[in-house]
Amino acid sequence: MTGLLVAAIMMGTPLLLGSLAEVYVERTGVMNTAIEGTFLMGAWAAFVVTYTTHNLWLGLAAAIVAGVFTTLIYGVICIYLGQDQVVVGTAINILAMGLTAFLFRAQFGTPLSPLTVDPFPKIPIPVLSQIPVLGPALFEQNLLTYSVYVIAPLMIWVLHRTSLGLTVRSAGENPTAVDVAGIDVKRVRLLTVSFAGVLCGIAGAFYSIGFLGLFTETMIGGRGWIAFAICFLGNWSPRGAVLGTLVFGLAEAIAIQMQSSGALIIPNEVFIGLPYVLTIVLTVARKTFNVPEKLGVAYAIES
Amino acid sequence: MNRRVLDLIVTNVLAVVLGLVVSGLLILLLGKDPLHAYGTLISGVFRDQYTFGEIFVKATPLIFSGLAFALPFKAKLFNIGAQGQFYIGAVTAVAVSLWLGPLMPGPLVLLVALALTLVLSAVWAGLIGLAKAKRGSNEFLLSMMSTFVALALMNYLLRTFLREAKGEYPQTDPLLNATWLPVIVPDTRIHLGFVLALLAAIGCWFFLFRTKFGFRVRATGQNARAARMSGINPDRVYVLIFAVAGALAGAAGFTEVNGVQHMLVQGFNPDVGAQGIGIAILANANPIGVIFASILFGVLIVGGGIMGQLSGIPNSYINVMIGIVMIFVIVGNYVRARIETRREVRRVKAGDSK
Repeated sequence: MTGLLVAAIMMGTPLLLGSLAEVYVERTGVMNTAIEGTFLMGAWAAFVVTYTTHNLWLGLAAAIVAGVFTTLIYGVICIYLGQDQVVVGTAINILAMGLTAFLFRAQFGTPLSPLTVDPFPKIPIPVLSQIPVLGPALFEQNLLTYSVYVIAPLMIWVLHRTSLGLTVRSAGENPTAVDVAGIDVKRVRLLTVSFAGVLCGIAGAFYSIGFLGLFTETMIGGRGWIAFAICFLGNWSPRGAVLGTLVFGLAEAIAIQMQSSGALIIPNEVFIGLPYVLTIVLTVARKTFNVPEKLGVAYAIES
Repeated sequence: MNRRVLDLIVTNVLAVVLGLVVSGLLILLLGKDPLHAYGTLISGVFRDQYTFGEIFVKATPLIFSGLAFALPFKAKLFNIGAQGQFYIGAVTAVAVSLWLGPLMPGPLVLLVALALTLVLSAVWAGLIGLAKAKRGSNEFLLSMMSTFVALALMNYLLRTFLREAKGEYPQTDPLLNATWLPVIVPDTRIHLGFVLALLAAIGCWFFLFRTKFGFRVRATGQNARAARMSGINPDRVYVLIFAVAGALAGAAGFTEVNGVQHMLVQGFNPDVGAQGIGIAILANANPIGVIFASILFGVLIVGGGIMGQLSGIPNSYINVMIGIVMIFVIVGNYVRARIETRREVRRVKAGDSK
């Protein structure tokens, strides 16, 4: 049970970073459909830089740079050139898949055994980690997971209680009003998208240098899309994203535990498919959604 | 030729060339000569009849998956689940062919396999349209998620019911020769599926631009509310268009299994869906354009593969090329729209009311 919770919180970390980022972006009226590719770019950059410099923090910084770079390309084409977000996202995801694999090969060739780095170590917090069951789950994780404990409440507070949050929300609900108030809607959107690049880059880094300590081209495997889905299912609210992440983190932890326990009564694929089935069921089951009014619509000033 | 069509062709050709140039710069990172690499790509494609034919072999599933995105796109719907619909089709085709192969004459097996493939993949995708119509669900999210479910389903079946008799790998037994789609050009692997793909594209064009229902699809895409006001039921459009898109992507599964692979292997053709989106965009969602865009992608895939063998450039470069070309095509769409607007403004200002 404890092991399951530890894994759930761990696997939930990148999902929460990704889904919170998606909530912010979508609240400004932009869907970040390049999220899967951004995760992958983050994972790749973090691994490559950590491997060459032996410094995890430089690796993390590289992941942030790669994440912002990816979302900036996405943002400029969608927001300033007004192109279709689904289409641009697909292009970026294909490119990220090709680029990371290509550059990885260019740098390392085909190594005989997988290259590894030491991932961020787990740091038990004294006293707190001694609490039964919940202690190890919450307070015996790595620094990236701890950082989420600060980032998530902060993001909830900013979105709902500050004028910055109001600007973000209005950009998606009523961009014209934001424009009339003298705030550049496109700039708000682009800055939020780049901010999402920071978080998604870190989320990607979590997969490569957060616990596995290696990089493969398929390591994200749709988890970016899970984060994307959590944003929808959480009703575009950061609190909903936290709740959704717990559910999906738990689902993934169960899948991992079932796979490693060997003797399977229920086929492995049921657990692999579970998060996706869950998303479909929840999407269809809930009719009224708090969809941002201008989600997916490029903002153009009438002239 | 229509001026807008000409604009489209010119900007897209420019975008493709620019995209290839920019991605070529990455070859420099490998310490290799991009011009030489592209030379290998082009001469490789033309080196013999078999290789040249491979272009059309690779283009066949892409025409289907391109149409599977393009058709809903005309109704402003996003079907990004073509990959999953393709897997459902492939699983159906292989299961039916293996099951009926020893019981019936080959052509009959092929017909039954095709029919069941179309039905099952149409139902699979039609449910997405139904959820959109009845529950207002987001079809983008649903179609994306359904791909992962289809993948898990396929992997499960390959590990259990459909697994080869030897039980060694997650793949099926090979199909009987009688249930293969016939090769239509000697000394190549071009099979009847290519003709089916061409017919499908022409059929989609006719459906979109020459039928009442096609008009309703396009009207819904341009303005769903106005369409509803004028008596069109968009809900019906959602279900039908998704079912048709699913059947198209499923048909690609049939032609790949019965025409090329002659078995089902885990993890085959993982990029058909995503590349289909690129093709649809390059073709501006025009079904006839999809044929040409697919052939271009076929050249890149076949040539890219040969380049990999001869110049030591990894296969992942194919996705680099396709990704960068797609981005240039998208930016090209923006540039073209601006040029056309400017031209329109000039025309109006000049008082020419032609």
